Amino acid sequence: MRFRSIAGWLLLAMVLIATAIVTSSGKAISEQDRNAVLEGASHRHPAGTDSLGRDRIVRVSAAFLLSLTGAVAASFISTAAAAGVGLLAAFSTAGVGTLTMLVCDVFLALPWLFLLMMVRSMLPLSTSPADSALITFVVLAALGWPACARAVYQGALRLRNSEWMIHARAGGMRIRQIPRQVLPNLLPLLLPQFLICVPAFVVAEANLGTLGLGVGEPLPSWGGMLLELGNSAILMQTAWVYLPIAVLVMALLLLESTAREA
Amino acid sequence: MNLLSSLFRRLLRMATVVLLVIVGSIVLVRFAPGYLSDAREMDARYAEGARNELATEAARSGSVGGMLWSEVRGLLRRDLGVSRQYEVPVVELVRPCLAVTVGLLLKSMMLAWIIAGCTATISNWGRSPVSLPGRLCHLTSTVLLAVPIGAMATMCLLADSGGPLLVLTTLLAARDFKFLDRMLRKAWNDPHLLHARAQGVSTPELIRVHLLPGIMPQLGSLATLSILTALGAMVPVEVIFSTPGIGQLAWNAAMNRDLPVLLAVTVMMAIAVTASGFGTGSRPATEWQTA
Repeated sequence: MRFRSIAGWLLLAMVLIATAIVTSSGKAISEQDRNAVLEGASHRHPAGTDSLGRDRIVRVSAAFLLSLTGAVAASFISTAAAAGVGLLAAFSTAGVGTLTMLVCDVFLALPWLFLLMMVRSMLPLSTSPADSALITFVVLAALGWPACARAVYQGALRLRNSEWMIHARAGGMRIRQIPRQVLPNLLPLLLPQFLICVPAFVVAEANLGTLGLGVGEPLPSWGGMLLELGNSAILMQTAWVYLPIAVLVMALLLLESTAREA
Repeated sequence: MNLLSSLFRRLLRMATVVLLVIVGSIVLVRFAPGYLSDAREMDARYAEGARNELATEAARSGSVGGMLWSEVRGLLRRDLGVSRQYEVPVVELVRPCLAVTVGLLLKSMMLAWIIAGCTATISNWGRSPVSLPGRLCHLTSTVLLAVPIGAMATMCLLADSGGPLLVLTTLLAARDFKFLDRMLRKAWNDPHLLHARAQGVSTPELIRVHLLPGIMPQLGSLATLSILTALGAMVPVEVIFSTPGIGQLAWNAAMNRDLPVLLAVTVMMAIAVTASGFGTGSRPATEWQTA
């Protein structure tokens, strides 16, 4: 509980600081200062600039917010889809259940990164940065639901065979009432699944970015910024800028493990 | 007879999953927004005739049925199709890379299992969930999992120390540790083990006679999880360290929109994962797979 609240407060503080930096710095994420290319920390640029003269602290903050927002949204979609599929499989006929779980197995048999690479590499060459960000996180959400759906299916199956559910169904509970009755009981299962997805999606986007297949420039993303790691001059000057997002993932992992234990 | 029928059922399921993977991958790629655009069409060096040929080729490979047929034909001919980029059978590109990747994966998985096993044992040694070694091991594995594999590999490269084996082993050990630790903690507190401990049975005997047989089935799931994690991680690692393996081949294919190679590699990965689930008697682990 203590760890969970520490991680929660840490997350909130980081989100507030990043929002404050992005909104109050007065610099746009792609604004270039041509007189200060690859500059170290200064009064004008507290975290220095990148190879195009863009302020790094603004870009790190925006990347932080983009990664977090995208991952949370993708995780929400993924968990909602998993809840729907899991419930459908558990409360429909055996044939539908088997078929649904077979589809889950197919998705689980595919290593994510390969599918993501395949889909991202097939995007039009003229995809805009905003679209590339949207597509990256939508694809993550689309590929992330099966593991969660299997867990939901097992939980829903237990509920279906529980005494109160048998009683309710014998008493004439209608199909459309099932989600309303079952979902609250599945929340303790869905919340950890949601929390597992968020750091996984942040790291997946970063890994895609490292391969040059993540969110497109000039939008800042953690993956895109990791590409700069190849430039040792930048790394030596401002290696700490990678810290906030590593702390974000750690806080999310901490939240996830405490939720799992709870 | 029961064993045979169960084996047959599992084989059938595996074949169905692989077939569905092929169909699913093709559908996913075919309906990706930019599938029909070809980078070569923008190259001014191509003559009008060549452009027309490219358009004809795109139209020919535009139907899902056609793509599926060419993939199945490649599998039947055992050449896995022809690479768009290099214009050679995919199998010729895959074979040398496969040896490199399999060697790397086997070595890193074995090392990771040893490290994870030792740290999980140390973590559970105090038999208290709040023991200091346990907390330290957990903290270390959380920190390691918070760093993307690409960043870890680049750091190693810049520091000129370690290589693909070290990076992969570190990631796998961190992930396997979480799984093993949870498993051992649960097993260690099982009623029959508590009883045996209370009766004064020695620790080595407890582990050999009671603990290991109890956790053996779950080790199968751990193997599947390790394979999944390793397969996901090998692309950034091989790309960053320029290791001539399957991961780098897949990345090159993705950058050059070489669909036959990418599809063949994806199907091979799916077969590896399904086969590992088949061999260990478990479904693909539902633990998180992203490296």
